Amino acid sequence: MTPDTPIQLPFLSLLLWLPLAGTLLCLIWRKSPNACRWLALGSTTLVLVISVALAFSLHSGSGGWLLYEDVSWIEAYGIRYTLGMDGISLLLILLTAFLQVIAVLISWDMRHHPALFFALVLVLETGIIGVFLALDLVLFYLFWELMLIPMFFLIGVWGHDRRVYAAVKFFFFTLAGSLLLLLALISLYLVHGEQTGNYTFALAALKQTELSFSQEMLFYLCFMAAFAVKVPLFPFHTWLPDAHTEAPAAGSVDLAGLLLKTGVYGMIRFAFPLFPLAAQKSLPVLAVLALIGLFYAAWVAYLQFDIKRIVAYSSISHLGFVILGLAAWTQTSWEGSVLLMINHGVTTGALFVMIAMIRQRTETREVDLLGGLWKTQPNLSAFFLLFCLASLGLPGLANFAGEFLILIGVFKVHPVWGGIAVGGVLFAAAYMLRLVQETIWGPSCEPLHRQDLNGREWLILVPLALLVIWLGCYPLPALEPLREPVRMLLLGGHP
Amino acid sequence: MSLIELQALLPQLILALGGTGVLILGAWVPNRRLWLMVGMALALLAALTAGVLEPPLTEVARMYATSPYARFCTVLWSVIIAATMLLSRRYADLHRFGGGEYASLLLFAGAGMSLLSAATSLVGLFLGLEAFTLVLYILIAFNRTDNRGAEAGLKYLVFGAVATGFLAFGIALIYAATGSFHFHEALAGLQLNGTLRPLGLAGWAMLLVAIGFKISLVPFHLWTPDVYQGAPAPISGLLATASKGAVVTALLPLLSGLGSAGGDVKQVIWLLAVLTMLVGTLAALPQTNLKRMLAYSSVVHMGYLMIALLAGGKVGGQALLFYIVVYSLATFGAFGVVTSLALENEEIQEYDEMQGLGYLHPRRSSALSAFLLSLAGIPPLAGFFGKFGIFQAALRNGYPELAVIGILTSLVSLYYYLRPIIVLFMQERSAYQFREGCKEEFILLASCFAAILIFGVYPGPLLDLVAQILP
Repeated sequence: MTPDTPIQLPFLSLLLWLPLAGTLLCLIWRKSPNACRWLALGSTTLVLVISVALAFSLHSGSGGWLLYEDVSWIEAYGIRYTLGMDGISLLLILLTAFLQVIAVLISWDMRHHPALFFALVLVLETGIIGVFLALDLVLFYLFWELMLIPMFFLIGVWGHDRRVYAAVKFFFFTLAGSLLLLLALISLYLVHGEQTGNYTFALAALKQTELSFSQEMLFYLCFMAAFAVKVPLFPFHTWLPDAHTEAPAAGSVDLAGLLLKTGVYGMIRFAFPLFPLAAQKSLPVLAVLALIGLFYAAWVAYLQFDIKRIVAYSSISHLGFVILGLAAWTQTSWEGSVLLMINHGVTTGALFVMIAMIRQRTETREVDLLGGLWKTQPNLSAFFLLFCLASLGLPGLANFAGEFLILIGVFKVHPVWGGIAVGGVLFAAAYMLRLVQETIWGPSCEPLHRQDLNGREWLILVPLALLVIWLGCYPLPALEPLREPVRMLLLGGHP
Repeated sequence: MSLIELQALLPQLILALGGTGVLILGAWVPNRRLWLMVGMALALLAALTAGVLEPPLTEVARMYATSPYARFCTVLWSVIIAATMLLSRRYADLHRFGGGEYASLLLFAGAGMSLLSAATSLVGLFLGLEAFTLVLYILIAFNRTDNRGAEAGLKYLVFGAVATGFLAFGIALIYAATGSFHFHEALAGLQLNGTLRPLGLAGWAMLLVAIGFKISLVPFHLWTPDVYQGAPAPISGLLATASKGAVVTALLPLLSGLGSAGGDVKQVIWLLAVLTMLVGTLAALPQTNLKRMLAYSSVVHMGYLMIALLAGGKVGGQALLFYIVVYSLATFGAFGVVTSLALENEEIQEYDEMQGLGYLHPRRSSALSAFLLSLAGIPPLAGFFGKFGIFQAALRNGYPELAVIGILTSLVSLYYYLRPIIVLFMQERSAYQFREGCKEEFILLASCFAAILIFGVYPGPLLDLVAQILP
């Protein structure tokens, strides 16, 4: 496959390595917090600008790779530096670039070792973008693991009270899955090498490997172990509430907005196309787990007293929706799933931002201690209400479009699944309305800092709000680039 | 011995004669820094001659090879010896190590290691091994005022003496069976119809016990944590890297020489590898002392090396040599950080004493974290491709169970590798104030750090090199 438009500059590598360059500069100027702040903002903004420019300049509706780079890297093991971007990667990278700017802005006043903090946020960005671009399995694995260390430090150093516990738990859960993935991808490489004599980790080549069903199932399960932990799918989710709750604001935004999406992306880009038969067999199981997760997490969210935990559990619930859409295996539901990933990234990112702002003002995240924010902080509360409504799937706001498409797709093939999933939307309404009610209405508690939104906070919230409304009212520009890639993935995934 | 043979052994001669020269002259000119610098220059010169000069012979006295493989090992150990001297500069000052003898002993150790890796006969193997083990007895107990050092030296001596006994007996048995010391003839003579003769099997069993002691395979590992803890930190680094690497590189041609007859021996090594990985990992978990943890970690890594050794062939050998290099870099670097943090009368080893150090000494703490993460096999550090190569070789050559155990122990190992990092960066600072590092230490740590990063991102050239030089 070749790029559709001949572009001279290696834009993908540029996107990928720019944040890392920012990291180096941050470490060099670590004595000056101000320089680091601006460097971080500068490099994340630059990535955003480049990715937006790419989105406009590329003919994004086409199938195949919009941009493609391929360089020989480690010949001894047949590992290549292969990057490729299609519509799905493009959207996810746009989301990444956008949320990273938000993450930098929300941590603007970071007092505790700012240089290291911003350096890690930038490394994380490289890792995430790399995951969305890599087409060589080892390269993918490298970036997959590269996300781990910065997140570990972000949670462990800048987190709240139980940060070390949460950081270690996060590290172990994800690494356990990743190591299975590593084992499976080496085995797949060897099987392919023995069949063809061509030892390679290239995704396109490995798709052609002939596997016995038991082999295929085994490898598929290993791959899915890594991805299911990251998503997180129902029984593998226990690291998430802790990690989200203990992480600093930027960490939560990145975790919920981006890291969870890498798991889903891994499934649709690698696990399903590489092992189509096993994938088909697993769909009902996947759907059942997704539905359990959807309801279970919603129910647990309803019972939480910490507002950050409520939003954390809501993420599990929403990701259950996403996986359900994938399990239905229709064009509409897949488009809906990818769209919901973007929507969820924006709305949940926004909610975590808001929680950080509320916490700054009230010094608490306990539902019982909060209340009546509307009286003193009308602007902040209005934004909070907007994002909560978006998160529960109100028509006209972001999440609705994705959830709606998923439901349509699911109803087409499995009406029962769809029927059950609709109930999930109801549950979402229950916990979200409780969250809104207990924080911005009800008896007022005295906020410590009475000041409403300041300029920087407006700057963060307005783009988020605009995006939420835009994605809700007119999601077509986000859907168009998805159509062809999704169609090809569905075809390539089928036996 | 003819001139041409001497020329073929030039790198080892530089090390040995240089060591003698430094020892003699050191008695007249008591200048610690001068002799460390001279020693370092000599070790680097030996590495350079080994790397650049074309040897005129392929084998010297039917005892030592001058193959690219042997030369590669010589370069490796000489560089580690030079690095030890660079690292010891301030440490030797602090502990008032004797002038010339420290440098000269290190040079002798380098000569022994280099001879061991080059051995093509059992006698050569014995001589090389004993040459550097004897020197290490002294070096471990070099700090005369430290009781732990004396204890460590004695422990190493007792265990080492037992191992020597086993080694000599094993060699005697093999010689009795075949009438030859030379690897080729001895190993071929041991085989009968594709299996080992009983006498040969007994000899190999003795050899494995001796080697197990030297590279601390479970159940012969008990001395390791005590000795590493008690020895001066630069020497612990040397013990954990070059002294073990030299033995493993000597074992590789021995085992591959057995060919298909090595089935029984391989079964024993399989068992040793499994035990080493599991027991080493479990023993490392509760450690709260950095040096002891690194000791158990080195035990576990020897288990990984045994996987590569078993897998054998080109892929196995390639993985083995690559792993030795990246493991040595990371482990030596970690001991380098311990050296650099050492105070006048004691070393900072306990985690309790390191709390919050990451913000007081960011460079050294980040380097230590990177070394530990590399040992854990986290990309983009070199340890990842090391483990990748080993597991890949194991899966390819029919040892999937070892690969699975290796992956599991890697996962668990993360717990003990993350612990120091958590202590350094995620806990409140304790009241301690440590020494600032000195220039030499920073040069060494920076080179180790750069190397594990470069080999982690671009391991291609090193992989190709080690594939070329395999015997």
